[in-house]
Amino acid sequence: MKSKGLISIILPLILVLLFGCSQEKSKLQDKVILGIASDVTNFNPLYAFNGTEVNVSEIIFPGLLGHNWDDTKGEITSFPLLAEDWEWSKDSSSITFNLRQDVYWSDSVQFTADDVVYSFDLYSDVVVNSRFYASFDNYYLNSDLSIDLDKSFEIISSHKVKFNFRPGSVPSLFDTDMPILPKHVFENIAREDIATSEVNFKPVGSGPYQLADWNKNQSIVLRLNHDSFLAKENSIEELIFKIIPDYNSRLVQLKNQEIDFMEEVRPEDLNDLKDVDYLSYTLRKGREYEYVGWNNLDPVEFAEEGKLVPHKLFGDSNERKALTHAINRQMILDEFLSGYGQISTGPVAPIFDRAINKNVKPRGYNPTLAKEILKNAGWTDTDSDGILDKDGKDFSFDLSIPGGNPLRVSVATVIQNNLKAIGINVNIVTLEPSVLIDQMFGKKLDAWISGWAVPIPILLKPFWHSDLESNIPNVASYRNKEIDSILDKLETCKSVDLQKDLFKRFQEIIQNDEPVTFLFWMDNIVVYNSKIENMDINPLGSIHYCWNWTLKE
Amino acid sequence: MNQRLITVLLRRLLSSFVVLFLLISFVFVLIRLAPGDPAQKFISPELSKELAENVRASFGIDSPIHIQYIKFIGNIITGDLGVSYNYRSTVLSIIFDHLPFTMIFASLSFIIQILIGFWLAVSTYKKKNSFYDKSINKLSLIGYSTPAYVLGVILIYFFSLQLKIFPSSDLQSFDFDELSTFAKLLDYAKHLALPLATLSLAGIVIFYKYLRDNLDSIENKMFVTNLRAMGVNEKTILYRHIIPNAIGPMISVAGIELGVLFSGALITEVIFGLPGMGRLTVNAIMLRDYPLVVGCSFVSGVLVIITNFTADVIKVIIDKRLIKGMLN
Repeated sequence: MKSKGLISIILPLILVLLFGCSQEKSKLQDKVILGIASDVTNFNPLYAFNGTEVNVSEIIFPGLLGHNWDDTKGEITSFPLLAEDWEWSKDSSSITFNLRQDVYWSDSVQFTADDVVYSFDLYSDVVVNSRFYASFDNYYLNSDLSIDLDKSFEIISSHKVKFNFRPGSVPSLFDTDMPILPKHVFENIAREDIATSEVNFKPVGSGPYQLADWNKNQSIVLRLNHDSFLAKENSIEELIFKIIPDYNSRLVQLKNQEIDFMEEVRPEDLNDLKDVDYLSYTLRKGREYEYVGWNNLDPVEFAEEGKLVPHKLFGDSNERKALTHAINRQMILDEFLSGYGQISTGPVAPIFDRAINKNVKPRGYNPTLAKEILKNAGWTDTDSDGILDKDGKDFSFDLSIPGGNPLRVSVATVIQNNLKAIGINVNIVTLEPSVLIDQMFGKKLDAWISGWAVPIPILLKPFWHSDLESNIPNVASYRNKEIDSILDKLETCKSVDLQKDLFKRFQEIIQNDEPVTFLFWMDNIVVYNSKIENMDINPLGSIHYCWNWTLKE
Repeated sequence: MNQRLITVLLRRLLSSFVVLFLLISFVFVLIRLAPGDPAQKFISPELSKELAENVRASFGIDSPIHIQYIKFIGNIITGDLGVSYNYRSTVLSIIFDHLPFTMIFASLSFIIQILIGFWLAVSTYKKKNSFYDKSINKLSLIGYSTPAYVLGVILIYFFSLQLKIFPSSDLQSFDFDELSTFAKLLDYAKHLALPLATLSLAGIVIFYKYLRDNLDSIENKMFVTNLRAMGVNEKTILYRHIIPNAIGPMISVAGIELGVLFSGALITEVIFGLPGMGRLTVNAIMLRDYPLVVGCSFVSGVLVIITNFTADVIKVIIDKRLIKGMLN
């Protein structure tokens, strides 16, 4: 009797639960839900260190100008945002911006030239420690690397500002491209307190969307600021960034219409998604490449003595070339990326049409040639144990990969098998990502699989310059004097044609030296609900101009 | 007696402080000895190397570990757990952002585990050796050995993707604010159904197995035979004598289980995108956010101690004979 009573209470509850509420759908009117893997830690462009933080903060805080990607030329074009227009001086030593007069902060205070200068002051302040600190080489600087404001800026009127650059520098529009912050908000906070201030979580911006709600580790809701000069009549009312850490959960929610947008979809999942009639996809041509890092220097000698002694296995370019010949990159591309990528010949992405050297061809898969090169370099199997050896040392090493990355696990396994076929023993070592990065930057690893994203505009010096102390990202410890000279010249070169030549020569030398084995450029597969229109997905990103998105009627 | 009880409580309190102190000291040292750099996200080709150096200095991690430790102990005495490197807020404020959800979620799961575990144990005991009893016994093994990451994905596949009954993540719908109070409750229930099922299954089986085994062993005791010989009816024997005697070990397990649940349920939180202590702690470890790692460990330690202590008190209330053991 009692159990019947219990059932009579529980059953209706279950029925109400099951049928009383319809399932959540992203087709909520005038909202788009974007699935992302991790949350932001703040909304302040001063401290936007990861991709989501940059994307979200730059929607809230636009800069003087925006950028588009010109696919036909393979380069960036700029257009005004907070600026009305701009004019370079004849000798390119200064640039004058006329600012829009119809821009207001979300607290209704008008945007002025003071905000522009104040923003650069904050970005370069040693106390603030912003993400742009010590990266204003083209400006007049103080001894603590902050910008000398008096020399670098002239406020001509409330909506006109002139930027003056250091003599001998090669400034570009990118030097002026920072999200602009509201002076009237930040000037009330002590500089040393900004990093932990509430202003990082309650932004007052001038952009088309403003923060409406933030449920930590769950969702970020941006609402259209109808008063913004960028807001359009048919702009989407709400953008909701839904934080879903698990890749498979994001995928399920995309199919289920619980989210409308997902980046970095794995190639093996695309075929399944292609069949879903309400989903569309775009392949964003990549500027992210995967590579096998060979430490050019002996890590023990470097770590203990600081000596630059060539690595016993990878110190010579012949061995590195042989390793590249032995790795079947085409098979990896076909099998694990379903062809959504391109074999890489060096660190300049094919999308950079102006800089790419089309004469540099990928080193082909040729195990016979690899064996030949190694034999000529003195590597033979003298003790018949199946492993090549030289001077009593086996060609055997640890290949470190980060945990939690299925693609790199697969690639490592293929490499292990490929190299075993030519008599090289590879032990795959899986490390926690932060440990791998720490050891990689510390130049403590022998070999590893990792990836880099090539910055726009192209930045090569930190990755390949011989000054290892200043260029920490040169994790392979690659050193070549001609490369150093090219990289130094690229920093000061004003001629576009000369830049082009320098880039092309750079790629020739890199291919000849084979400092690492460049594996492939990866396409970023973006899948989204077909209801979203006017998306511009290009190498610069996918959501940066989301105020142009509209929904199908 | 009362004075001795107070002595026991004070001794227990003191030992709890020692355990907590040792816990946070070990975590403080071990996380710093582990490879990895808290300033790692400040090292990038697009960032200046000076920034990473400045940040490292501002975190105070460029000073020797014993100096950091002395400063840390000084701060913690004043209740200051520091500022998170990653979130740029005080550790306590970040923990208090995540703790309420974890407490509610863990408590709900705990209640479900206890109630269903208890009900299964008693109902199968009553029908000992029946098909029902044997089936539950076998199924419990499957339930116990199914990892949360498998169960969660299976539940999402059937109930979210195929049947479209429950959402596959989040705590609430995006139109939550527009819902009536009743609809809000339903919305929460709908969102928590699958995560609670995922988190609770293994616990249900644990409680069921513990209690069921204890019921069997108590039944074989002489006093039960004696009661039967005296003609006491089976219902009274079960509810007045067997269950109260069998429930003690289950309460100890419950104390530990609740403490573990309060520390966060990482896998369930990740699969269902829930904002709990598990994700917070693991993210802090991955990012080498030293103050936050220590803070999370401290809070988890406090909760485990409190739940264990509460379990002991409940055991004493149920069986007063245990107080003698504690006093000794």
